[in-house]
Amino acid sequence: MKRQIAFYRNKLLQDGSAIDQGLALLAQDDGIISSGPDDLCQLGAAVLTRLGGCALILARPPLPISEWLIAHAGSADTLIPPDSETRTFLHDIPILRRDEFRSDPVAALTARLGQRKGVLVEGIGLVAVGPLTLEQAYVNLSSLFHALFVKTLHDLLLQPCGPQEQALLAAVRAWTTPLTLAGLAFCDRADLNGNTQIAHEMERVGRYTVEQRLVDSFFGNISCRDDQQIFISQTAASLDALSGCIDPVPFDNSTTCGITASSELLTHRRIYEQTDARTILHGHPKFAVVLSMHCATRDCAIDDCWRDCPQVRDCVGTPIVAGEVGAGGLADKVVPVIANSGAAIVYGHGVFTIGHHDFAEAFTKLLQIEQACRDEYFRRVDANS
Amino acid sequence: MNGWHGQALHIDLTAGTLQRRQLPTDLLTGSIGGRGLGVRLLRDTIHLTTDDPDLPLIFAAGPLSGSGVPASDRVAVVSRSPLTGTVFDGSAGGTFARDLKSAGVDALIIQGCSPQPVWLRLSGTEASLQPAAQLWGGDIPTTLAALSGHGSVATIGTAGENGVLYAGILFGQGNAAGRGGLGAIMGGKQLKAISVQGDQATTIADPTRLQKANRDILRLFRASPPLFGEFGLQAFGTATFVDLMAQRRMTPTDNFRATVFPNSTHYSGPALRHALHPTSGGCNGCPIACKKFNHSGIPLPEYHTLSHFGALNGLDDLPALLAASADCYRLGLDPVSAAVTLATASEIRGDTLTAADLTPRLEAIAQCKDEGALLAQGARRLAVALGRPEVAMTVKSLELPAFDPRGAYGLALAYCTSGRGGCHTRGNPISYEILRRPVPTDRFSFAGKARMLRIAEDSIAATDSLAVCRYALFGASLEEYADALSAVTGVDYSSAALATVGANIVLTERSYNLDNGFTADDDLLPERFFTAAGSHGQDTQVPALDRDRFLAERCTYYHLRGLTDTGTFPAASGPLLP
Repeated sequence: MKRQIAFYRNKLLQDGSAIDQGLALLAQDDGIISSGPDDLCQLGAAVLTRLGGCALILARPPLPISEWLIAHAGSADTLIPPDSETRTFLHDIPILRRDEFRSDPVAALTARLGQRKGVLVEGIGLVAVGPLTLEQAYVNLSSLFHALFVKTLHDLLLQPCGPQEQALLAAVRAWTTPLTLAGLAFCDRADLNGNTQIAHEMERVGRYTVEQRLVDSFFGNISCRDDQQIFISQTAASLDALSGCIDPVPFDNSTTCGITASSELLTHRRIYEQTDARTILHGHPKFAVVLSMHCATRDCAIDDCWRDCPQVRDCVGTPIVAGEVGAGGLADKVVPVIANSGAAIVYGHGVFTIGHHDFAEAFTKLLQIEQACRDEYFRRVDANS
Repeated sequence: MNGWHGQALHIDLTAGTLQRRQLPTDLLTGSIGGRGLGVRLLRDTIHLTTDDPDLPLIFAAGPLSGSGVPASDRVAVVSRSPLTGTVFDGSAGGTFARDLKSAGVDALIIQGCSPQPVWLRLSGTEASLQPAAQLWGGDIPTTLAALSGHGSVATIGTAGENGVLYAGILFGQGNAAGRGGLGAIMGGKQLKAISVQGDQATTIADPTRLQKANRDILRLFRASPPLFGEFGLQAFGTATFVDLMAQRRMTPTDNFRATVFPNSTHYSGPALRHALHPTSGGCNGCPIACKKFNHSGIPLPEYHTLSHFGALNGLDDLPALLAASADCYRLGLDPVSAAVTLATASEIRGDTLTAADLTPRLEAIAQCKDEGALLAQGARRLAVALGRPEVAMTVKSLELPAFDPRGAYGLALAYCTSGRGGCHTRGNPISYEILRRPVPTDRFSFAGKARMLRIAEDSIAATDSLAVCRYALFGASLEEYADALSAVTGVDYSSAALATVGANIVLTERSYNLDNGFTADDDLLPERFFTAAGSHGQDTQVPALDRDRFLAERCTYYHLRGLTDTGTFPAASGPLLP
């Protein structure tokens, strides 16, 4: 358990979701093991004992998004993430303000975490629970950060930016790490054959995707086809730890072992059936997600744009389509546009890219789209200032 | 009240009386409904033997039944099992729960024994006992046909009438409270069938909030590969597990002496699809529609039936497996217990079952005649009677389902902590050890499994009390269902509050079993799993379970439940249902 705590502590620091001095991780089996500042660990231990779950993470993000969102939330007691992916799983994010927290912080936090997977706590940052595993707490914490980061940046596009917002944007600029292909190696098309080689390449490219922060926590999916089957990452698999987590799914559906494959299997399959793609990569890069939701249309009759928008919009030369994840119809929307462009952005969700021969093409496209979206985002907010 | 009606119908079959009585509000809010309500209502009678007429047989719906919440129309049947001696609940889908609620009651509490066969007719505010001499001796399809037009029907077959210890209660469309011999309890009361119908709606406190909760649930369903994925339950039904268990080398084969059956592809999900072109159907209002039917509308076998009549008994003939499943349905037998009992007999006698043996043996079991009289007692009693008790693959006398515990260590623990005996459904570790829902875990490790199991058991007990399908938890969680329950009833529940109710149910069930003489020695797997390895594969080793590690994790589980090292309650006992 200690090793796991150290692993996820390092992961949260590496992916930029938390700062070291504001990060506490706790896990319990027979007893509670913790890592982090004493005050946070004491609070976390009391909460975890009451909740009875496996793990709890308290994390102050490296950006002042918590403070900004709480200050702009008015009297609301929850925030609703606008992106479709985190909204599906988080629904809403309770806000726990300092005055509610002061008298009995343990009771206040326990009550909120008894209702939702994570909470935004004034003065602390983000708190997430993992009922079954520490990894679950990490995923929930990371998803909270993703949802709030995306919401903050999306909100900033919708209003004039004052000095406070300028400071926040400067912090965001400093937080973003350079996207680069330097030092990355890819398997040549001629060598991308055979189960073992394909699996190794998927493991490597999955790791690149996480290292370049092109995902929400470690989620996304990746696949490669050969003549008979699709090799695809399993559902809830860490893209940076895919060893043993790749399902071979025959095109003829002669076995149902693919039941553990990614929830986007259908989209991958349709792309392979209707294009000449050899590889597919799907990530949740933050700036692409933000821009996909920034729509110039006014007085539109559609409420659930993420699912119902019939338009194919464009962002940095890449088509944006709406569609619900899993069996919600995403495949029908993505496939018609991805053949020509080689990529598609899904409203409030993420980006699909394809490679015709190898993963180098798919990964490069994903990286370029996110870089272009970053540049475009800052151009738009600068114009807003 | 919203959600609940606050009423139960008490039936005294000895006296022939029927009476509606109020259910106290705190009893309903504290036990929710379904399994929780049934377990609570047994409190004063759980010590009665299973042949005592005063032992109640309870049918309990949940507050969400009839509300339109996805996958929420199940009914819990609760009593004490004649097979296991434990408190026992079965969960059945279909339309019975909806129609029970529409008759204005939350539960039926049936006691006594009728002097002659009867069936219970509940139609709106009218309730009566009807003579059933004409129905007695009839099989399930015949009885269902005879009572068509009376709403939803629960009935027993000849197995229940004859006291087969694993006779089930059937509800039509392949739905059943199949395990544990609840059909024998019903038969012992000379109650052949129950019909329910009415026109009373389940009232909803906050329709707008409910709409949102339902949307949240459905989105999670659609995002869940085991539910709506290409190979999920909607596409293939539970037969989808045939290939998965084979691939994981977890298929109980040859009475659990091996864990892979090469010919399982003969009856896999794709094989059924190819041979039968099945249609889909489901319980009232359920979008998952996991049930599959052939062109004549006959329900196709579930995974455990296929695998246990198949791999466990060495049969790969699809028509024979379909016939065995249909026989069990027709006669009112639990196919899991029947198949394990037959495999036990085969191992002891050193013979192999043939396809031609199946129907005659199942008939003999249902009639309790000739060799069927002993087979009707279940695998443990059979093995004891034949002097080979170690051959019975049971926990607390309940025959194990078709997931081999050597392939998933949380499952091994779950079979033993389950209050109703060897059953995966109480903690369903298959979800997080195989299907990666809600998170993946290492199936070949005991680390942390006690806590995971405790949390899952609480969650499932709460789900059973909402009378929601357990498969819903492959997508949604108590978080979303707490919102739905709050919207329907107007009583605020959080997921944590529901989990607390679930914990109280699990502990109450344990206290009942302890009072009836069960001990930690009963929370144990058969010796075979600790001494014999499963079938290794090219990349997968399936060793025997480490007994010391198993016992240590079981002890951790007891501690996490607030119990002593031996699984008993300390002097100051833990919380039970109010």
